[in-house]
Amino acid sequence: MTTMMDRPAATPGHSAPKKALIERLNIFTAFALGIIGAIVFYYVAKAILPANTDGSYIKSNNDQYVIFSMIGWFIGFMTGIGALIGPFRWLLGKDLNHDENMFYAGKDQGVKRYFRYTTDHKVVGIQYLVLTMIIFFVGGVLAMLIRTNLGHAGGGWLQPQTYNAIVGTHGIIMIVGTIIMITGPFGNFIMPIMIGARDMAFPRLNALSLWLIIAAVPCILSSFFLGGISTGWVAYNPLASQAPAGMDGYIMFICIFALSTMVAGANITTTVIKMRAKGMTWNRTPIFIYGVVASVALALPAFPVFFLSQVMSGMDRAAGSTFYNTMGGGSGWLYENLFWIMGHPEVYVILIPGVAALMEMAPVFTRRPLFSFNLAIMGIAGISGLSILVWAHHMYTTGWAPLLNGPFMLTTELISIPTGLLFLVLIGTLWRGRLWMTMPTASIYALLWNFMIGGITGIYLSDVPVDGALHGSMYVTAHFHYTLMGAGLTGALASLVYWFPKMTGRMFDKTLSWIGFWFVQIGFNIAFISMFFVGLAGQPRRVEAYAAMFSRGNMITTGGAYLIMAGMLVLLYGVISSWTGGVKAPMNPWFAKTLEWSVPNPVPLENFDVLPVVTSDAYGYGKAQS
Amino acid sequence: MNKRLLGALGTVIIGAGVIAGIGTYVASAKNDSRVLAATPAGTINTAQGNLPHYTLDMSAYPDSMAGSHGTTGGKHPGWVTYGPVTNFQVPAHSVITVTIKQYDSGARITNDFFASVHGTIDGTAIINGKAVKSVDPEAVGHTFTLHGLSDAKSQLFVSVPLPSLPDALIPSSGYSKTPNTITFSLITGDAGKYVWNCEYPCGDGTIARFGGPMSTQGYMSGNFDVVNA
Repeated sequence: MTTMMDRPAATPGHSAPKKALIERLNIFTAFALGIIGAIVFYYVAKAILPANTDGSYIKSNNDQYVIFSMIGWFIGFMTGIGALIGPFRWLLGKDLNHDENMFYAGKDQGVKRYFRYTTDHKVVGIQYLVLTMIIFFVGGVLAMLIRTNLGHAGGGWLQPQTYNAIVGTHGIIMIVGTIIMITGPFGNFIMPIMIGARDMAFPRLNALSLWLIIAAVPCILSSFFLGGISTGWVAYNPLASQAPAGMDGYIMFICIFALSTMVAGANITTTVIKMRAKGMTWNRTPIFIYGVVASVALALPAFPVFFLSQVMSGMDRAAGSTFYNTMGGGSGWLYENLFWIMGHPEVYVILIPGVAALMEMAPVFTRRPLFSFNLAIMGIAGISGLSILVWAHHMYTTGWAPLLNGPFMLTTELISIPTGLLFLVLIGTLWRGRLWMTMPTASIYALLWNFMIGGITGIYLSDVPVDGALHGSMYVTAHFHYTLMGAGLTGALASLVYWFPKMTGRMFDKTLSWIGFWFVQIGFNIAFISMFFVGLAGQPRRVEAYAAMFSRGNMITTGGAYLIMAGMLVLLYGVISSWTGGVKAPMNPWFAKTLEWSVPNPVPLENFDVLPVVTSDAYGYGKAQS
Repeated sequence: MNKRLLGALGTVIIGAGVIAGIGTYVASAKNDSRVLAATPAGTINTAQGNLPHYTLDMSAYPDSMAGSHGTTGGKHPGWVTYGPVTNFQVPAHSVITVTIKQYDSGARITNDFFASVHGTIDGTAIINGKAVKSVDPEAVGHTFTLHGLSDAKSQLFVSVPLPSLPDALIPSSGYSKTPNTITFSLITGDAGKYVWNCEYPCGDGTIARFGGPMSTQGYMSGNFDVVNA
C-alpha cells in the first residue's frame, strides 16, 4: 500500500506525479467501492450458500443474500473512504508518518477535507452537523407523510403497509438523529476546545465513528425497497424475525450505528478524562462536558447490548438460530429485555446533553454563575445511575416478571428527583439574572415548559395501573415527543445558534433564529398537546386509520406538525444563508468564559498556540443584581 | 419584503413542495387504484323495510395472473389475489348481495372464529347452493372480512369464510372450471370508508404467512366505501 506523501513537484514538460492512495480516497470512492462490495458479496453468497430446504419460513436465503450484500457494502465503503489504511499500516509496522497524519487532519485541503476521512475534530464536528441535518430532513419528511395521512379519519392516503414502513423508519432514524445531534456536532467541534485540548484522544477513531454512521444510513434507507420496517422502531421479535427483508436493513443499520456509538463513547470519555487543560479540575470543568460524558458513558454499556440483540435477530432470520423463537426454545422477552436495556438509557443519552448545553448557556445569558454547580452534577449523575435501572417499565403489559413491576415503578418515579435538580439549577440561574434575551435564552424557558409536561406525563406512565390503560396509545407518543423533541431538540437548536459563530465564523441570523424558534415551539405544543387528548380518549399508536371521534385532535396535531415543518425549514435557511453570507462573528460574541471562545475564528488546526492553564471555573460572572 | 425573509419563505415553500412531491409519489404507488361500483338490482324486502338492492361480484384467485395486476401478474405474479379489483363502492342503507368465486386451495384456518359467518342477513351464506353458518375450519381457502370500524359513525362487521377447493380440482395451469361459489347479503349503514381483508394466512413466508399479499393492499385486502346514493 503506497501512501508516501513527500513527492517532488511537477516540472515543466513532465506529467504531475501520481497521487498517493490516501489522497485518492473520498466519499465518492467510498460509495463506488461500497456498491461493488455489495454486488460481489451478493453473488458470492448466492454461489456458496446452500439453498434453504428445511421448510422454515423464518430462515431464508433471501435474508442471507441481503445481509451478505450489506456486509459487502459496509466493507467496501469503509475501504473506499480510507478507514482501513491506518490499521493496515500499523499492522505492517509502518504507521503513518507526520505528513500523512497532517493530510488526514485535513491540512490545507479546503472544502475537500469535508468529503474525506479527516481526523481533525473540527472537520468531524461540521460533518456531523451536516449529517444530522440530513437525517432530520429525511425523518422530518417521513413525519409529515405520517401526519398528512392522519389528518383525517379513515386514512387511506397511504397504503397501510407503506404507512407502517414509514412509521418504523421515521422512529429509528429520528432516534439516531437525536442521539448524535449534540454529541456529534458540538461534542466533536466544541468539547475538545472547551477542555483545552488540541484534538480528541483518538482522532482516527473520531473519523471512524462518523463514517460508520454514513455507511449505516443507506442500509436503513434500502429497507423501503425491501418490504419496509413493518414492526415499529422497536423491531420486536419474533415479529421482526418473520418480517420482510427490509428488517435486514434495520439490523445492519443498528449494528453499524452501535459500533459508531461505542467508538465515539470510548473516544470522548478518554479525551475528557486524560486531556483536560492544566488546572481544569473536575469542579472547574464546564457543565456541558459533564452532559456529553454522561451521555456517551451511558451509551457505552447500552449499545453493545443493542448490537448483540440485532446480531441475534439477524441470526434468527438468516442462520436458523432460535434466540427469540419460542418453538425453538427462545423467548420474545429476551429481545424485549435486550432492547430496553439499551432503550431507556438511550432516552437520557439524548436528553442529558440537551439540558447540559442549556445549563452551559444559562450563565452566559443571565450574566450570573450557574446556580449550584454541584446540584447540577448530582442531577446528571442521579439520572444516569437510575436510568439503567428502569428499562422494564416498557414491559409492564408484556407479562414478563410481574413481581418486578413494583420495583421498576419505584426506580422510574425516583428518577424525577434528580430531574427536578436540573430544573432547580436552571430556574435558580435564571432567577434575578440580567437576562440577555436571545433564541438560546428563550430555549431555556421552552425546555422548562416542554420537559415539565414530558416529565409529569412520564410519571403517570411509570405507574403500573395507569400504564395498563395508556400503554400503546397516542398518549405515549405525545409523552416521548415532549421529552426527546421538546427538551432534547430544543437544546440542540439552541446549541446550533449559540456555537454557530465558533463553528462557521459567522453569526446565525437573529431574526431567522427567532422566527424558527416560535414556529417550532408553538407548532410543537399544538401538535403534541392535542395528541395527549386523543391518546387519553383511546386512539392507539401505529394505526393508519382511526375512528371519527379522534378527528378533531388529529387535525389539530397535523396543523401543528406543519408549523414545526415551517419552523425547521426557516432554521435550515438560517443555517445556509448565515453560513454563506452572514455577519462575520467576533472571537467571543457572547462574552462567555469557556475556553472555546478564547480561540480565534477560524479555529487553528491544533486549536491553541500554547495550551491554556485554567485558574477558575467558567462561570465567574459575578452576582446577579437584586 | 426583507431579502432574508423572502429567502426563508422560499425555503418553506420549496420544502413543502418537496414533501408534497414525495408524498404524492408514495401515495400514488398503490397496487390497485380502480374501484368497482355495485350494480343496481331493484329493491328487496328486509326486516328493516324495503331497501334498494345492489349486487357485487368478485373472485379469489391462487395467483395474480387474473384480477387487477394484468395478464403478466404485475410485480408478484405468484401472490394470491382477489379480482377483478380490490376496491369496492356500495350505496348506504342498501342491501348488497356479494357473490365470490373461489378458485384457490387452502388448509386449516388459524382462528376458528373466521370459519363462521358473521354480520350477514340471517347470519348465513350460500355456498354452492347450500345455506350455511360455518364451514369446516380444516378446509378454508380465504375469507372476506369487512372490518367494523369506519371513519364515520356506522359500524359494519361482516366475515364470510370461502371454503378451499380440493387439490384435485385445481389444474396445473389456468383456473378450475368449477370454483366454489359463495353468496351472501349485508345491509349497509351510513356512508363511511371501511377496509376489508382475508383472515386466512395465505401470504408469503413472512409474518407467519400474514405478510406479502396479506399485508399489501390490492391483493388480499382493499377498501370498501359506503357512499350516499
